[in-house]
Amino acid sequence: MSSSTETSRPVGAAARGEGGIACYVYGIVPEDVDISPDAVGVGDPPGRVRLIRHGEIGALVSDVAVDRPLGRAEDLVGHEALLDGAAAEVPVLPLRFGAVLTSPEAVVGELLEPHHDEFVAALKEIEGHVQYVIRATYGERSVLHEILADNAEVRRLRDQIRGLPEDATRGERIRIGELITQAIAAKREADTQTVVDCFAPCTVAAVIRDATHERDAANVAFMVRLDQEADFEMVLGELRREWADRIDVRVLGPMAVYDFVTSA
Amino acid sequence: MTVTVPSGGGGLPDRPSGSGLADVIDTILDKGLVIDAFVRVSLVGIEVLTIDARVVVASVDTYLRFAEAVNRLDLEQSKEGLPELIGDVTQGVAHNKSKGVAQGVIEAAGEKLHDYIAGTVEEPEPERRVRRRSGG
Repeated sequence: MSSSTETSRPVGAAARGEGGIACYVYGIVPEDVDISPDAVGVGDPPGRVRLIRHGEIGALVSDVAVDRPLGRAEDLVGHEALLDGAAAEVPVLPLRFGAVLTSPEAVVGELLEPHHDEFVAALKEIEGHVQYVIRATYGERSVLHEILADNAEVRRLRDQIRGLPEDATRGERIRIGELITQAIAAKREADTQTVVDCFAPCTVAAVIRDATHERDAANVAFMVRLDQEADFEMVLGELRREWADRIDVRVLGPMAVYDFVTSA
Repeated sequence: MTVTVPSGGGGLPDRPSGSGLADVIDTILDKGLVIDAFVRVSLVGIEVLTIDARVVVASVDTYLRFAEAVNRLDLEQSKEGLPELIGDVTQGVAHNKSKGVAQGVIEAAGEKLHDYIAGTVEEPEPERRVRRRSGG
């Protein structure tokens, strides 16, 4: 389940699509899906999304102009909105943002055909599942109070800088900050484990994401079976009650199973 | 076909994530199938403008900000008894994730992006535009 560190970003000397138009690929779905005419994705104006079929699978694609950079906020949101909307209805293998092939033929010849059986198997596996992400964040005041209460060194340094200008106490301040960051990291490890354990009975799999904010308490993606959603919600409620005073718990989803499809 | 919608009660969002762009970025730039693990031949060289918006978790700026926050906390607070007892702090578990000089730039870019996010993005209604064929 380790993700490739390679990116799907600019591939310098690659061939250009015909007439400056290429195929942006969002994800892989079963062949028997319908796409409504108003489904759009990336680009300006947003490209109409269609399905390129091969065997039992299809690729969700839209035309994209190759002479214009991709990556406006609207492009990112468009990519995710399409996939998350689809994931609520059908199994979807979501591609990372920015995958573009030269032509519909290339989508079949280089993506769908060579990996047909793998994709069929993966789609079967994720059928009836969605992803939720739990993002928990420490309240700044509450976590600092906890750390002050626990850590004599932080208290001592805090007393040292009291009333003194920042310039005169830079060393102590950096040390305080470092100690706090370390203390939060230790708390994060424990609280992330709590999140994983809490939701384990009502989820199929979990992926712990890297912290992306200094006050992150937990950032965990879960694969959830549709019939587990009620239990998931109940556990979420319990966790929020338990952590009400110290940690804010947000939930993202339902979304496509982004964290569970990286190539093996 | 039957659509399973999370039951009410304010727990789960009742539609696909109305999350901010920052959350979108965490997900779709960092996760998902990587196509060039499969395909190398005809990827088009479109310039992708996205940045690595990952915020560095530990940096001197962060340290100074925490120090100031503690300083302020102390001023705001009366002598709300700090326990004499020192808990066993598991500092050893933590490790510094400092990532070098580029971090300032990345953070700045991240902030800029967040400003942008706050203003301009209109969330499209995530309706059910892709669905199983009827009867399926």
